[in-house]
Amino acid sequence: MSGSHDPTVVTAVLMAAEAAINRALELDPASARDLADMAGTVLAIECLSPDVEVFAIVEAEGKLHLTPYSERKADTRVRGTLNDFLALATAEDPAATLINSDLEIVGNTAPLLALQTLVSKMQPDWEAPLVNVLGDVGGHQLANLLRQIFRWGQKSTQSLRRQLSEFILEEGRLSPPAAELDAFFKEIDVLGLRVDRLESRLKRLGQRLAGRR
Amino acid sequence: MRNDDTAEEPGTTHFGFKTVDRDQKESLVRGVFDSVASRYDLMNDLMSAGIHRLWKRFTIELSSVRPGQTVLDIAGGTGDLAARFSRLVGDEGRVVLADINDSMLRVGRDRLIDSGAVGNLHTVQCDAQSLPFPNDSVDCITIAFGLRNVTDKDMALRSMERVLKPGGRLLVLEFSKPVNPLLEKVYDTYSFRVLPIMGQLVANDPDSYRYLAESIRKHPDQETLLGMMEDAGFVSCEYHNMTGGIVAVHKGIKA
Repeated sequence: MSGSHDPTVVTAVLMAAEAAINRALELDPASARDLADMAGTVLAIECLSPDVEVFAIVEAEGKLHLTPYSERKADTRVRGTLNDFLALATAEDPAATLINSDLEIVGNTAPLLALQTLVSKMQPDWEAPLVNVLGDVGGHQLANLLRQIFRWGQKSTQSLRRQLSEFILEEGRLSPPAAELDAFFKEIDVLGLRVDRLESRLKRLGQRLAGRR
Repeated sequence: MRNDDTAEEPGTTHFGFKTVDRDQKESLVRGVFDSVASRYDLMNDLMSAGIHRLWKRFTIELSSVRPGQTVLDIAGGTGDLAARFSRLVGDEGRVVLADINDSMLRVGRDRLIDSGAVGNLHTVQCDAQSLPFPNDSVDCITIAFGLRNVTDKDMALRSMERVLKPGGRLLVLEFSKPVNPLLEKVYDTYSFRVLPIMGQLVANDPDSYRYLAESIRKHPDQETLLGMMEDAGFVSCEYHNMTGGIVAVHKGIKA
């Protein structure tokens, strides 16, 4: 079920997400065909925080149906927090992320990995709807402009991230560098082990003294 | 504003906040829906800001209808649910769109044909209190925003229970009682002040929309309807509040 949330809200969010995904699939027929091969697959996503359960059902026409309620047996059930799911969705190596994260998986993992790979390989032809509305020349020009803006946005974000990191570490000295932090944490670990050893020696000494008395 | 005085004189029932003879209610309700039929969808969208589509979609999810099944959509109005069910049951299945009101049924049938929902879809004009179908013949019955207009709701629920196959399910989507008192006040103001004005402006019929608001207040609340379904013989009855309880969908299974 849809957890403790109002079904109206959950249904609205899922309807919007489903419409967006299926629109993207319409613009990428190859991915839609790959998805159609998985028709009938039921994936249950159980988010513990916030408490929401969603079912993703692959339909025969290569479309995805998202629903807060299903009585069909899930092929794969994934349980975790929202952060865990976001990490999986954005991971470059989903298989490694699945193994190393706190996500709990019940059932067959193959459909989940196939779906993640399909999503990461998707290349929707965003130009098609623009060309349909504006014609070949106008649509292509606008698509090029949007692509350039998108690339500029990506580069600017990367550059800003790098400069911000430099400022925090070098200019403002607001945080120590990662290598320095690693060395510090290692020293703490070594110190912790030494304290543990000393504690056990003191215990042993105490037991010996008690035995002599 | 909810009128909880449900006690009725023998031979009478309520029509909105008015008390009328039981024989009269059917024709009065017919008058309301004859009047609103042509603009029913537009008004639904305006009145609920389109949210009625979310309520109906969640009801369809709860139905868990599968290909090959038979679905009866009572008071199906303009065929919102029937159109989706028609795709879900496929060529092997069957969907019956039933309504007591001829005007609503005509609008619904035309719309469904225009949208390509043909072949597995049938329309039947009938009374929910005495459904003209064999015993144990239907897998799923839905009644969306229709039960409150039925004169004898208990009789209608018993009739639905008779028609359902054992294990079949009934889904009642209906306006209900908001769970939050503040929301209830806002909702009352909206229903009794804004709704008739919208009815006047869009459909030139404020009285019909005033009746809709009044009939919602006279309809049994969540727990009462749950009890009525259990009394009619349904088991595993439960309900889901939607939009703070403004609407609730009740589910019951035929034993």
